[in-house]
Amino acid sequence: MIANSLRKFKGGLKNRLFKIRSLPAVWIGKLLIILTRILGRGGTTLPGRAARLIDPRLSSHLAEYLQEGIITVTGTNGKTTTASLIGAIFEKHGLHCIRNRSGSNMIWGIASTLIEKATWFASLHGDCAVMEVDEGAFPGVVGEIKPRGTVITNIFRDQLDRYGELDHIRESISRGLQVQPENGFEVINADDPTLVTLEAAEGKKRWTFGLEIDTPADNFLNTGCDLKMCPRCASNLNYSRLYYAHLGHYYCPECDFKRPQPDVTITKRIINPDGSSLLSITFADQSIEFSFILPGIYNLYNALAAFTTALAAGIPPSITGEALEKAAPSFGRMEQFTLNGIKIIMALIKNPVGANQVLRTLLSEKENLGLLLAINDKIADGTDVSWLWDVDFEQIAAAQNRLAYVAVSGLRAWDMAVRLKYAGLDSSRIPVEEDTARALSTAIQNISPDSTLLILPSYTAMLEMRRHLNKMGLGRPYWED
Amino acid sequence: MVKIRLFHLYPEHLNLYGDRGNMLALCRRAEWRNIAIEIVSIKPGESINFSSCDLLFMGGGQDSDQKLIVEDLKKRRDELKIAAENGMVIFSVCGSYQLLGNYYVAVGGEKLAGLGIIDLYTEAGSRRLIGNAVIDCPLWQPPRTLAGFENHAGKTYLGPSVQPLGTVLTGFGNNGSDKTEGAVHNNVIGTYLHGSLLPKNPWLTDYLLEKALSYRGTPVKLASLDDSLEQRAHDSAIVLARSRRHKRLSTRA
Repeated sequence: MIANSLRKFKGGLKNRLFKIRSLPAVWIGKLLIILTRILGRGGTTLPGRAARLIDPRLSSHLAEYLQEGIITVTGTNGKTTTASLIGAIFEKHGLHCIRNRSGSNMIWGIASTLIEKATWFASLHGDCAVMEVDEGAFPGVVGEIKPRGTVITNIFRDQLDRYGELDHIRESISRGLQVQPENGFEVINADDPTLVTLEAAEGKKRWTFGLEIDTPADNFLNTGCDLKMCPRCASNLNYSRLYYAHLGHYYCPECDFKRPQPDVTITKRIINPDGSSLLSITFADQSIEFSFILPGIYNLYNALAAFTTALAAGIPPSITGEALEKAAPSFGRMEQFTLNGIKIIMALIKNPVGANQVLRTLLSEKENLGLLLAINDKIADGTDVSWLWDVDFEQIAAAQNRLAYVAVSGLRAWDMAVRLKYAGLDSSRIPVEEDTARALSTAIQNISPDSTLLILPSYTAMLEMRRHLNKMGLGRPYWED
Repeated sequence: MVKIRLFHLYPEHLNLYGDRGNMLALCRRAEWRNIAIEIVSIKPGESINFSSCDLLFMGGGQDSDQKLIVEDLKKRRDELKIAAENGMVIFSVCGSYQLLGNYYVAVGGEKLAGLGIIDLYTEAGSRRLIGNAVIDCPLWQPPRTLAGFENHAGKTYLGPSVQPLGTVLTGFGNNGSDKTEGAVHNNVIGTYLHGSLLPKNPWLTDYLLEKALSYRGTPVKLASLDDSLEQRAHDSAIVLARSRRHKRLSTRA
């Protein structure tokens, strides 16, 4: 009896102690968020880092307030867009949904996001959250915030200086899935052979998605940066349909490994004259049609991932379709601006597969184009720029007749210029300006008014470009999104 | 027309750190001088006639791929060794550089035999050596700098008769302690530097092309090219390498 009440007292004290710690943690975090904004930065890491020093369990504690649970999105490419689409669907369904920004996808950034949305009493108002999570941070984040659903988009070769090789990324994702609560669900891209072999945790529902459409042949399949090898017996995989990189309908000629039939598929895609597509998604003998504005095959995967997640979360498909029809590009992913009649499209590039898909999509635009590539090599960009050599910038050389202006910028502008020279461009006609602000204004001055300026920045160069565009009155600072 | 036969070893497996850039640099700089380049891509299991090869390029690979190809390559060890002793040019980066050595000691102490083309050995390190690197390379007099990026867990130690490719000015080099980077033996060059290495160090590209031509018996003085862009990329890489603090990042494995 005494022991019991003592235990109760201790438990209560423990809970109160959590609050004792989480209150000042939230306050410090919130003050730091305000401070970094006054300094003109969208502070994403520091507030969470500081708050976690005071209360290491802060994220777990705040996450418990979300009755409808948390969805985490991880994988090499498509995290931001997929998370944004899922968020839009949940909102459409009437749920108040908390989201993080792509720069806040490590353990501290996620803490910062929760702190920002928390009250000064260290509680959280909201129904659910959609968090994109860095692949390396995935196991730690899952352990802390215990997501109800987890989405894995794909695994490609990414910044090797940070993530190491593909095997390491896969292992990290696998560890994350193992610590996810058993009553949750996972959503996996069936067209990615490296994902379907991830061991399914017992009792957890796994949903898969994939494409079932024919796409025009990709003339630049020589990337050679992703192995199409059977994960079971190491033979070379065959593909009856190959969408890009190692995504497609694969089968092993030597063993019985093959693409599983996905639960959710896109079975039809009609491209409208305005560039949008009419999509038909099929699942469990049902199908639904809606129009979708985001360009490129890779965005079809993002739409599928979001649709499948919504289905797994029990949201009616009609609501999901409505939300996807209204989808707009997310942060730095094909964002569009207009300045003095010039159309500006900004699309982040960060690894070979993603960059190839962005180039393939943008260079297929019919109008005259100008191009500004801005490559930094800070930690968030990847400090190793050798990935530039695995991108098919040869696509730019092939589209030269429509590209009146090609310029390079960023800390690694000279590396980028050399890359373009060896891709077959006339390097004497490529302006090199390391300073991104000057490069942007020069590009705007030099481009003809009837053309579209494509800005392809690496991650931190994208943040810089956004700041410059904000100063010109375009877009909003990202913490106001 | 003068021709170089460039063999690319296992391009599907050894292509980790922008190795395509090295191949592109060799090809373009030969083409720009009207030297024909015949590329022979070698797949595992295929027979290789090293006697028709002038220049062999071996890139870096993931651990899992590397194990796969080691076995394949061992079958060709003797031919490869004879060709290398005869002066065939080999340029190898990272994983395949380690492979050219005598052996590799894995984390658990297991000793994996290498090809024994260069007298060196590698030990698995506990931390990865990652970052920009600059070396002073005595292949030219006066020596020239080479700028690249390194990312390796293995620590390589050279035998007494082996010359390093260069002395470390910034970065870690072979093992992080003896200031050597890479190795040179006859016309065989091994290095941890990528970045890609050859595009922004065009003098090394030209060195390999010249050696390949004289090995083939058609020594040619290469016409000079306008390398101002490559030079700027090289110089800016050195500035960036010096301005960054180098950290030993631990592996995530």
